[in-house]
Amino acid sequence: MKLTSFAQLQQIKEQGLKLTYPDRIKIMVGLATCGISAGADKVWKALEAKIAELGLEVILEQTGCIGFCQKEPLVDVVYPNKVRLSYHSMTPEKAEALVTAIKQGEVFPDNLLCRLDREEFLVEGHFRAYANPHPPELPGEMIPRYEELPFFRKQVKIALRNCGFINPERIEDYIGRGGYAALHRVLTSMTPPAVISEVKASGLRGRGGAGFPTGVKWEFAAKQEADQKYVICNADEGDPGAFMDRGILEGDPHAVLEGMVIGAYAIGASEGYIYCRAEYPLAIKRLKIAIAQAEELGLLGNRIFGSNFSFRLKIREGAGAFVCGEETSLIASIEGTVGEPRPRPPFPAQSGLWGRPTIINNVKTWSHIAPIIMRGADWYSSFGTKGSPGTTVFALVGKVNNTGLVEIPLGLTLREMIFEIGGGIAGAKAFKAVQTGGPSGGCIPEEHLDTPVDYESLRALGSIMGSGGMIVMDEKDCMVNVAKYFIDFTKDESCGKCTPCREGTLRMMEMLEAITAGQAQEEDLDKLAEMADLIKLTSLCGLGQTAPNPVLSTILYFRDEYEAHIRDHKCLAKVCKPLITFLVDQEKCIGCQLCRLKCPGEAIQGGKKEVHQIIQEKCIKCGTCFEKCKFDAITVE
Amino acid sequence: MDAMTKLTINDRLVEVPAGTTVLKAARQLGVSIPTLCDYEGVKPYGGCRLCLVEVRLGDRRQITASCTYPASDGLIVYTDTDKVLKGRRLVIDLLWSRCPEVPLLRDLAQQLGITEPSFPKGDSDCILCGKCVRTCHELQHVGAIGIMNRGAKRQITTPFGEFSQVCRTCGACAFVCPTGHFQDIGKISGKTAKPKSSVFNAGLNTQGNIYRLYPQAIPSAPAIDPQNCIKILTGDCGLCAQVCAPEAIDYNQQKEAFDLEVGSVILAPGFKPFDASAIKAYGYGKYANVYTSLEFERILSPAGPFAGHVTRRSDGREPKKIAWIHCVGSRNFGAEAKAYCSNFCCMVSLKQSIVAREHLGPDLDMACFYIDMRTPRKDFEKYCVKIKDLGARLIRSRVHTIKEVNGSGDLEVRYVTEAGEVVDEIFDAVVLSVGMVMPPSTLELAKRLEVTLGPNEFVEHSCFAPTTTFRDGIYACGAFTGPKDIPQTVMEGSAAAAAATRRLASARGTLLKVTEYPPEREVAGEPARVGVFICNCGLNIGGVADVPAIVEYAKGLPNVEYAQANLFTCSQDAQARMVEMIEEHRLNRIVVAACSPSTHQPIFQQMMRTAGLNKYLFEMANIRNQCTWVHQNEPEQATQKCQDLVNMGVAKARLLWPLEYLTVGVDRTALVLGGGVTGMTAAMALADQGYQVHLVERRGFLGGNALKLHTTWRGGLVKPRVQAMIKRVQNDERITVHFKAMVTEVSGAVGNFTTTLSDGEAIRHGIVILAIGAEPFRPEGMYLYKENPNVLLSLDLDEEIAQESERVKKAQAVAFIQCVGSRIPERPYCNKVCCAHSVEDAIKLKVMDPEKEVYILYRDMRTYGEREILYTRARELGVVFIRVPIANPAKVEEADGRLRITVTDHILQRPVSFSVDLLVLATAIIPHQNAPLAELYKIPLNAEGFFTEAHAKIKPVEASTEGIFLAGLCHYPKPIQESVAEAMACASRANTILSRDYLELESIISNPIDENCDGCAFCIDTCPFKALTLIEYMKDGGVKKTVDVNPVFCKGCGSCMATCPKQGIYVAGFTPEQLSAQVEAALGLI
Repeated sequence: MKLTSFAQLQQIKEQGLKLTYPDRIKIMVGLATCGISAGADKVWKALEAKIAELGLEVILEQTGCIGFCQKEPLVDVVYPNKVRLSYHSMTPEKAEALVTAIKQGEVFPDNLLCRLDREEFLVEGHFRAYANPHPPELPGEMIPRYEELPFFRKQVKIALRNCGFINPERIEDYIGRGGYAALHRVLTSMTPPAVISEVKASGLRGRGGAGFPTGVKWEFAAKQEADQKYVICNADEGDPGAFMDRGILEGDPHAVLEGMVIGAYAIGASEGYIYCRAEYPLAIKRLKIAIAQAEELGLLGNRIFGSNFSFRLKIREGAGAFVCGEETSLIASIEGTVGEPRPRPPFPAQSGLWGRPTIINNVKTWSHIAPIIMRGADWYSSFGTKGSPGTTVFALVGKVNNTGLVEIPLGLTLREMIFEIGGGIAGAKAFKAVQTGGPSGGCIPEEHLDTPVDYESLRALGSIMGSGGMIVMDEKDCMVNVAKYFIDFTKDESCGKCTPCREGTLRMMEMLEAITAGQAQEEDLDKLAEMADLIKLTSLCGLGQTAPNPVLSTILYFRDEYEAHIRDHKCLAKVCKPLITFLVDQEKCIGCQLCRLKCPGEAIQGGKKEVHQIIQEKCIKCGTCFEKCKFDAITVE
Repeated sequence: MDAMTKLTINDRLVEVPAGTTVLKAARQLGVSIPTLCDYEGVKPYGGCRLCLVEVRLGDRRQITASCTYPASDGLIVYTDTDKVLKGRRLVIDLLWSRCPEVPLLRDLAQQLGITEPSFPKGDSDCILCGKCVRTCHELQHVGAIGIMNRGAKRQITTPFGEFSQVCRTCGACAFVCPTGHFQDIGKISGKTAKPKSSVFNAGLNTQGNIYRLYPQAIPSAPAIDPQNCIKILTGDCGLCAQVCAPEAIDYNQQKEAFDLEVGSVILAPGFKPFDASAIKAYGYGKYANVYTSLEFERILSPAGPFAGHVTRRSDGREPKKIAWIHCVGSRNFGAEAKAYCSNFCCMVSLKQSIVAREHLGPDLDMACFYIDMRTPRKDFEKYCVKIKDLGARLIRSRVHTIKEVNGSGDLEVRYVTEAGEVVDEIFDAVVLSVGMVMPPSTLELAKRLEVTLGPNEFVEHSCFAPTTTFRDGIYACGAFTGPKDIPQTVMEGSAAAAAATRRLASARGTLLKVTEYPPEREVAGEPARVGVFICNCGLNIGGVADVPAIVEYAKGLPNVEYAQANLFTCSQDAQARMVEMIEEHRLNRIVVAACSPSTHQPIFQQMMRTAGLNKYLFEMANIRNQCTWVHQNEPEQATQKCQDLVNMGVAKARLLWPLEYLTVGVDRTALVLGGGVTGMTAAMALADQGYQVHLVERRGFLGGNALKLHTTWRGGLVKPRVQAMIKRVQNDERITVHFKAMVTEVSGAVGNFTTTLSDGEAIRHGIVILAIGAEPFRPEGMYLYKENPNVLLSLDLDEEIAQESERVKKAQAVAFIQCVGSRIPERPYCNKVCCAHSVEDAIKLKVMDPEKEVYILYRDMRTYGEREILYTRARELGVVFIRVPIANPAKVEEADGRLRITVTDHILQRPVSFSVDLLVLATAIIPHQNAPLAELYKIPLNAEGFFTEAHAKIKPVEASTEGIFLAGLCHYPKPIQESVAEAMACASRANTILSRDYLELESIISNPIDENCDGCAFCIDTCPFKALTLIEYMKDGGVKKTVDVNPVFCKGCGSCMATCPKQGIYVAGFTPEQLSAQVEAALGLI
């Protein structure tokens, strides 16, 4: 059926709500990639089998990631008109026990993460309570409420609004929570300039990293005269440790689709591409399903909602080059040539795909559009700061207690991010630095933890917002090694077209290797910094222009670590192998021989119950002895 | 794209069409920005980042690549800020570190002040600029190569690293590569890339698909080879049209056919070298170091494939031992070889051995393997003697085989010595002196034009009309009429012109185009603005002296406004550029530092006139003949001397002033001296052109030596033809014959001679042809000549054969002795005629009576050209040829009433004797007493007393004095056919003077200064041209004496100026001031 009226949309919405909130118990499993990798598929199978075995009349449903990746696999049980309980760290055994408990009419007591009494229907601006008007009587009164968990408390979920709440493979679920209403509104009651002006007024900035005002970009493209224009969704998420886009595509693909159709209408494009990396097969699968469903309902394709506006959307799978996240490279890749950037100007908004005006926005940016249309620019800009309105999604990873997908209003401080949402540093270690923006970003030290997270503030610190990677490092991280890690990445991911990036990252890598091997001279540090500056200045595209950031920011904030490597041949974090020595603590060693037996280099001597000794010439510094020793008798100098 | 955009670059405003890149805009302003990946034919790339600039637009400032950044209104660009230079340094440092051996990167790095790569050195030679890939994709539309991998692992390769199926081996990738990465483009397709070999350099080096045949070619426009042009063949590419700024490329040009209406046709199609690969035993085409003489000629040439550096094709090593093999494809049977002698090849080998020695040093071992050494032309014999003195081994042997020694490139030459010993000798290189053959296209032409060819495929003709074919109105010359060398073809060209225009004389001049020059620019009031053009002369100058340094030096000289170097200043395009430069820089004096003024000054003077300058505002510095040729081994001093010569030239040029062009009317009458066949031919040819001719014969009858000749070598009877000529000459009312007359006095110059004869008659004439012949040497005291009546000279035998004398009929045995009195130290020249003459007579004797024993005692049988057929026939008829070396001459004694001849057999090395009834001596031809005439006409004689031509090749029939021409035996011994041709050539050359209304005279002549001259008349006696006369006129009430110059007679020799004690006369263009300035410059005072 092709939808042509709001009433028809409402009908679907009703179907969706019935599916989402059935009158039977619904068990939901977070089956995004993060969940699956934690074993959610096994949990699913266990649930499925046990339900069948017990002949239980419950609905087993998949959903996306609710964000708390640390605690995956997550299983939620929705009790009709009562409550929703969220279980974390589930195993097949626990899953079976859960089903058994339900069968017995009990609440499974283990692994409870939180309870939800209501869900926010963000697009529509209201909450839907599971039990209305009375709260359910369940033994879970002691269970913390979802909104009270420190991890969720400060989050505002606009982009992630449906993730973990709907079955991403069912368009009715999306529509049920207010989906495609914005598209209907746009097509039936807004002119393209009005759409653009709304987006402009919202202050939304590109969430891909550079933060160019989205509305301005659209306006630019809208003004171009061309027989054909394009919109593109950049889903080539390539930063190490970043998975925000994946989370959205796997959890709520229609949010992106709806944003793109609106964008296409605004600039006058009739074709669009989603450029998604092939390493995201699940995201691609769900996108394909979403596109098919939207086409089925006439929300994509010819005469959308019966209007004169038509729009076709295609998926292009990227072959996994980091540089294809750069928009001109991405365009080249879609065109079927090698993914290499070309100089700008001309900008894609003037001359993009096949030489036509083209808008490229990131997954997160697109998913912000529908709420902005529905709730209005003022609502949107009430979040965040003046210069950086709205929310953004971070993949909070590294040495924090709570890792996962986090959507925060811009302006929250790094400290709040790490110590409240992130729950502080794992293992009671000391915080050392936080790296934002992936390989293009920088490392921010403790003294800047109270900096608000927004485009300008992070840039001022020598880092960038980037697309949303946030890696927390503790005292055990060597900052020179961190810089080396990122340069190694950019060195391999540089397309190699321009000299400074191709040759320069290689040379920076060589210099960092020399430093971490204790073979550098003191003047090399300035040479490295100077070269890094020049590479930023002279490279062709964003990759090269930001690649030196990790080096520059670590030199800026952690120069002492560099100097220790160079001058004293010491790695303060004891990471850089050529500069560390493993020793046996004479007092603590009891001569258990474990280390001696495990040492791959046969570098440890000592008989049973004799104090062991490491032969340094043979030691390959693998750290096995350190890890294996149960008596803390191995020390690192 | 019509909209214009204004931007500033380095604070200078520039306006360019919208869409232009900053790089192009900068270049428009003359701001230089280094580039590597930029290439006009392909899309801007922005990869190498060398062309960085700083751009500012509003608040935005950025360092970016100028090759991709579009110019826009209000854009501010700086190309040399600190940041820009630092960025460029980083880029070039990174690239040079990656590719440390690439010279281009080294040069660019050094320009940016980097002396050593900063980073650990790589071993690549590819900077990944991608020009190759983009060219392949964008222009060739092929995509045979692409870029594989990312980042530092990036490399240029074929798809999947396998051979490309689509590669056309076009070489565009290698062409655009700035670093020379593509050593072998065959590796792309797996096919062998065969470079297109240079036609001009005999295939020894390669030639682009767009090429000029050679630097001085006319027209000098480049051409595209349609057989290999990707654009023409496939529609792809088209790069040349894209990069050609004047849009001169037209891919659609087609051959056009023209119809011309003409009165005569001259055929001069030339020949092709014999294909040496047909002779398998010599291994040409199989062994790298076996060359044809044509290939070796190119190797020796400074403009050749290796810039004159003689190296072996196999390994680039200098050969130390070279063999030349004569008669390859000539004097041979089978294997497509020709039975005739190709005439020029002996001399080619000898010349090449001498030139090779100049290139490779005096230790070069030169061996020439010959059958007979054939150097009959004037001065060739001397050359042959000289080579022996230089140590060349002249080995009389037909080489049996050539084999390569185990792939070493060395060649084993097997031959048999004169003593009969088989020798295998190793040489570094072998040059096959290939003969000439008629190409099939020429044979086809002859067939189409119905021109009869003889048995050897040369045009049939008679000795008395050597350039006339058997088809009316069609004439031929050069190799088409028989094998011959350059001087003869040049001469025959003129002869054919005379023959072809004979009947068209009435139409002479009707289709002429007159060169029109622009009005002359007035430069009198201007200060000197000197332009200096320094010629590389290929490598003749540039290969020795540092031409750029000379240019820089010239730029620093006073009044020099402009200086530049040319590859060949005399080339057409260089001339056109010079005219442009003269106009652009308002030059008013020009100095060309190049070669010899005698050959090239007129070319440059014409260029001056084309540029609107008086041609006397020109000065030449001969830095080639007088410097680089003689100082080849001292390049630094040579450069210094070149600079000094340029300084002298400029010093003089500064003081030059325009001279008035002088003309004189032409007396359209010709004087021919000598009533032999040559003189008569010339006289008739000129008469046919409509001129009055005076023919002067010292004897009382016409006909000369030819009266004694029986037949020509072709067998034609001489007498009837000579008789017919005499009749014709005597009956031609335009020809006045002066019998028994000698020249006693000559005055005047070209166009206006006056010659007084011994009978007192003074003849006014415009030109003179000397054809006074020569006489046989009479070898008194040799071989019983004049002692025994049966010892005759060749001409005597001719007469007896003609008269069928009894003693000739009865003679049982006849011997000929060749080279009597010639090819000896006193007379080191060959007569050219006698070998063929003796063989011809020997055949007649054998035909007369096959039982007759006929012996020919020779040193080398010089039956050159088609005469070789006679030699073969004689051998077939049983004529016995006995080679008698000069060191061991034949002995002739009287014995038993016969003549007993004893010679040494060269194999057996023992005396052999035989008796004959008649002995014929082929004696030298010696000049008459030519000295008085030479003196009168002021033309030089050579050491043997023959008249000397102005230039053996370029001016073979002109004397060094203008208006005087030489033909026949007085110039050098030669057969009738060549004398006749020379006579025709003289007539043709003379016609170029006589046909004109007036002649331009040289303005460099004497000018008396009346106030300084006191009429002492010292100069008048000194003047060798009788150009000065003493005059008197009334001045201030008294008689003033002074001298007057006849501008026609004066040759500007300067004798008067040197003689005058009062500085009362000077030669224009050589004033004391001008000469002093040159001297001062030479002394370093300027």
